[in-house]
Amino acid sequence: MTLVRTYKHLGTDLKGLFEDIIKEITKEPQLNIVSEMRGEIKGVPMMSVTASRSKIPKILVGTLREVTVTITGVPDNYLIEMHVGEWLRSLVLPHTDPIFLVGPLTGLVSVGSSGLLAATYGRELKLKIKELVKKHSKSDYTDDKIETIID
Amino acid sequence: MRRSRPSSKVNKMPFIRKYKDLGTDLDNLYQDIIKALQQEKDLEIAKENEGLINGVGFKSVTAVRASLPRAVSGTLREVTVTIAGVPDDWLLELHTGSWFGNMILPGTGGFLIAGPIGSAAAAGTTTLMAAQYGRKLKNQIKELVKKNSGKPYSADKVETFID
Repeated sequence: MTLVRTYKHLGTDLKGLFEDIIKEITKEPQLNIVSEMRGEIKGVPMMSVTASRSKIPKILVGTLREVTVTITGVPDNYLIEMHVGEWLRSLVLPHTDPIFLVGPLTGLVSVGSSGLLAATYGRELKLKIKELVKKHSKSDYTDDKIETIID
Repeated sequence: MRRSRPSSKVNKMPFIRKYKDLGTDLDNLYQDIIKALQQEKDLEIAKENEGLINGVGFKSVTAVRASLPRAVSGTLREVTVTIAGVPDDWLLELHTGSWFGNMILPGTGGFLIAGPIGSAAAAGTTTLMAAQYGRKLKNQIKELVKKNSGKPYSADKVETFID
């Protein structure tokens, strides 16, 4: 799951926003921050944080594997990318049974177990980032200032 | 700026293969894959997970970019390789992630970037692109599977799923 949003004319404190996003990711006990980058690329500020699952999940298919949030641009014209990675997503086939595996690998699935699922986490983080953008922006958050691109 | 639909194909590179009846030494294969990742100077190993999930052997390694790239869009951000199963029935997943891959629009002169970060994109610079690296690593892994398998590698023992 990858989500990119462009934000314009919000006057956002991007450093404050980035720090709050890191705090939000750190709240999830099953994630560890493994990479943080801050700098400029061709004169454009960029900040990026990646967190990876801290230990083996109870199930595999669809479980959260890593998350990366990247901010690039300036307060009135920037992008946020959120990537949420999961294990073996392309093995979830559109059959009657939600997941289809044959042989000893079936144990990886355990449908219904309470794992930290990427889709659930991605949705929660996306909503949290929206609130954080509002918190750190001087101008009102309105639809005409935002464009969403979802992969 | 040329306007067209963003190309999701540029960004997505999860790749899964299912292997059967190869008698593969999964421990050695995993170690060889880690060595292959370490050969790329722009990457550093960030996380390794090994153990069992419901009795099934599982190993996963994630490498992340060691420093800021010179360009953003499509540049390699992280790689995760996961192996799960037993020597005669196992899966391998290869994920290569890139920054803003879905902001890349195909154009006649290569790639054009939608949005405010055109200068950060710098399409055409000599940087480590996720798609290129993913292809190279996929081929390396194929050779490593052959090397670490006790039985001959053939197409009928392999099934590929591409996201």
